[in-house]
Amino acid sequence: MNRYLANVNGWTIGAILIIILLFVPNVSIVTGIFSPASENWAHIKEYMLLKYIKSSLTLVFFTALFTGAIGLSLAWLIAQYDFPLRNFMKWALILPLSIPPFIGAYTYHGIVNYTGVIQKTLRNQFDITPNPAFFDIMNVPGAIFIYTIFLYPYVYMITRIFLSHQSASLIESARTLGKGPWEIFSKVVIPISRVSIIGGVSLVVLEVLNDYGVVKYFGIQTFSTAIFQTWFGLGDLDSSIKLAASLMGIVIFILIIERLLRGGKQYSYSTTKVRPLPLVKLKGKSAVFATIYTLIIFSVAFLIPVIQLIDWVILTFGKVPMEEVLTYTKNSVTVAVISATLIIVFSLIVGNFSRIVHHKLAKLLPKLTILGYSIPGAVIAVAVVTTFIALDRNFAPIYQFFGVESALVLSVSLFMLISAYVIRFFAIGYNSIESGFDKIGTDFRDASRMLGANSMRTFFKIDVPMMKGAIISGFVLVFVDILKEIPLTLILRPFNYDTLATKAFQYASDEKIMEASQASLLIVGVSAIAIIVFHKLLREEP
Amino acid sequence: MFIDIQNLSFTYSNSSMKAINDISFTVEKGEVISILGRSGSGKSTILRIIAGLEMPNGGSFILNGKKIMDTRTFIQPEKRGIGMVFQDYALFPHMNVEENILFGLSKMSRNDKKKRTNEVLELVELEGFEKRYPHQLSGGQQQRVALARAIAPEPDLILLDEPFSNLDTDLQVKIRGDLRRILKKANTTAIFVTHNVNDAHALADRIVKIKDGKIEKIGRPCDLLGLSTSELPSTVEKASEELLTV
Repeated sequence: MNRYLANVNGWTIGAILIIILLFVPNVSIVTGIFSPASENWAHIKEYMLLKYIKSSLTLVFFTALFTGAIGLSLAWLIAQYDFPLRNFMKWALILPLSIPPFIGAYTYHGIVNYTGVIQKTLRNQFDITPNPAFFDIMNVPGAIFIYTIFLYPYVYMITRIFLSHQSASLIESARTLGKGPWEIFSKVVIPISRVSIIGGVSLVVLEVLNDYGVVKYFGIQTFSTAIFQTWFGLGDLDSSIKLAASLMGIVIFILIIERLLRGGKQYSYSTTKVRPLPLVKLKGKSAVFATIYTLIIFSVAFLIPVIQLIDWVILTFGKVPMEEVLTYTKNSVTVAVISATLIIVFSLIVGNFSRIVHHKLAKLLPKLTILGYSIPGAVIAVAVVTTFIALDRNFAPIYQFFGVESALVLSVSLFMLISAYVIRFFAIGYNSIESGFDKIGTDFRDASRMLGANSMRTFFKIDVPMMKGAIISGFVLVFVDILKEIPLTLILRPFNYDTLATKAFQYASDEKIMEASQASLLIVGVSAIAIIVFHKLLREEP
Repeated sequence: MFIDIQNLSFTYSNSSMKAINDISFTVEKGEVISILGRSGSGKSTILRIIAGLEMPNGGSFILNGKKIMDTRTFIQPEKRGIGMVFQDYALFPHMNVEENILFGLSKMSRNDKKKRTNEVLELVELEGFEKRYPHQLSGGQQQRVALARAIAPEPDLILLDEPFSNLDTDLQVKIRGDLRRILKKANTTAIFVTHNVNDAHALADRIVKIKDGKIEKIGRPCDLLGLSTSELPSTVEKASEELLTV
C-alpha cells in the first residue's frame, strides 16, 4: 500500500483546504504586480515611492535599535539581579503591550500638547510658557518614541525567558573566570542572546510596518498610509496593490535578513531540565539605579498613559452615550470571539494534520500560513478585498437566482472582515496550538488508537482535553490582538459597523481625544488582564 | 502459527537508509517474544510497524489467520486488536485509573466494563486504586496500570516497548517476575522490545536479536546466551555484554 496515500484522510483534506484558503488571497497581491500600471502609479513611483521607503525604513531602523537596547537591558536586569520591586517589574514591564501604539500616540499627544497637563501646569503653576515646538511629538522622532515604549516588551519577554532558562552555566563560567558584570554583559550576554534579541526585534519591525494608527495620526507618510490614500483618496486599487506588493517585498527582505543574522539558528526553548539563573542581590547605588530605571520605563510606557486615560474617562463620563459604548463593545467582542474561535478550530485541524502525517509537506505547508502574520494589515486588506470582489463577480448569477439585487454581497459583509482577521492572526493561534501538540507528543494519541479509538474519538477525548491550556492561551492571545486591530477593521468593516478600536481611532482623529478614552481604556483593561493572566497566573517561570 | 511476519522493510522519510531490512519471524499463541538490540538498531520500529503506527515499505503480517498488512492491505491500528504498553506508559493524565482502563472497553455493556476493569486490576494487584490519577501513582504502579489497560480489551497480541526502562533497578527485578506471571496467567501472546539482556532472558520464551535493522539471531534465551535459567542473573551480566558486541 502506498505510504503517502494512506495519509490521506479527513484531517489532510481539511488542513489543505484551510491552508489554501489562508494563502490564496496573498497570491492576488503577487499577480497584481504584473497588471498594467495606471497614471497614478507612474506618479507614485516617480515622486512618492522613495519617500515611503525612506520614512518606513527610518521608523523601522531606529525603533529596532531602541527597542533592542531597552528590551535587552531590562531582560538582563530582571533575569540576573534581585533589587527592590524586581518581582513586580518582572511582569509589569510586559504590560505596555496592552496599549495599542495608536492609543499611546494620541494619549501622549494629549499629555504634551498646548492644552495638555504638562504645558498647562508649567503655565499655571510656574508661569513658564515653553516653546510649543519643544513638545511637538507628531513627527518621525515622536513616532519612534511611541513605537519604542509600547513595543519593547517583545524584545524584553523573549530575551528574558532565554536568559533565565538558558544562560546559567555560561554566565557562571564567566564569573568563575573573574569577569565583572559589564564584561559578562558585553562578552557573554549580548552574543548568546543574539537569536532572541533578533527574534524580538523582528516582531517589533513587523509591527511597525503593519502600523497604520500612529503614522496616520501623526501625519507621517509610510507604506501603510500610502496604501490607504491611493485606494480611498485616488480610488486606485491597482496602484495600492502595487504598493502592497512593494511593502511585501520589504517584509520578505527583512525576514531574509533576520534569517541571515540568526545564522541559521532556531530558537531553543528547551523546557526540560533547565537550571534557572541564580539571582545576584544588588545593594546600595546599584539597587537604587535598577529600581529607578525599571520604574521610569514602566511609568512612561504604562502608568502615565493609563492614568491620563482614566482622568479623561472621569472628565467625559456620560458624554459618550452608554448605549453607543455597549454597541461597539458588543461588536468588538462578537467579531473577536467568532474570529478567534475559527482560528483555533483551523489551527487544531492544521496542527493535527502536521503532527500525524509523516511527510515533509505536512511540516512545510503550515509554515506558509504563518507568513500571514508577517504581512502587514494593509496588504492583507487589499488582498482580501480583491479576492472577495472577484468572488462576488463569480457568484452574481447565484445572487440573481435568489433574487438579491445588489452585486456586492460577500464583499460588504462581516464575513470579509472575519476572513481577513483569520488570515492575519492565524499564526498567533497556530503557534500556541502547535506548541501544545509538541508538548503532548504522539504517545497518548498512539496509545488511544491502540485501545481501539479512531482518529476523531482520539482527538476529542485525548488531544483536546490535554491541550486545554494551549487552546485557551491561543484563543485569548488572538482575541486581544483582534480587539486592538486597526487597519483591517477600518478598511473591511461593513458600513456603520464600529468596534472599540475604530471608535477610539475615529474620535482621536477628529481631535476628540477625551471622548476616545472610554473605548481605549476598555481595550487596555481587557488586554492588560489577559497579559497578567498569561504571565502571572499561568507562570512562565522563572 | 499465530503470528507470521514476512520480509518487513522500512525506511524513514528523511533518510535513504533502511531502518528495517527484510525481517521475518513467526510467533506461537501464548508465546512471549523479546526483540533485543541496541539503541537505533530498529527494534522499536518493528514494534510500531506491528502496531500499525508506522507503515512499512514492504512485507506482510498475518495475525491469528487474519491478514493485517501486505502490499494491498493496511488495517488501521485501532482495528487490529493489538494492545500496547508504551515506554513512558502514556497513561492519559486527565483520566483516573478506572477511566484509563475503561477507555479501551467502549464496546461492552456497563456491567461487563465494570467487571472487566475489576478483573484486570486484580490481575495487576491494584484493587482500590481505581480513582487515583496517574500522577498519584509510583512508577511501578503506573506500569501495571498501563499493562492492565492494554490487557483489558483482550487483544490477540500485546506489544511492550522497553517496559522496564523507566523503573529503578530494584523494581525492575520484581516487575519482571510480575509481568511474566501476568502475561502467562492471561495467556496473552506478547512481543516486547528491550536493550537489556537480563530482561529478555527473564521474560521471553524466545529472543529475536536485531542489529542494524536485520535479524542476527533467533532462539531460546538459553540457546542464545549459552546459559541455563538457573545460572541467572549473575553470569548473564557478563554474557549480555558479549552478546551485544557480537
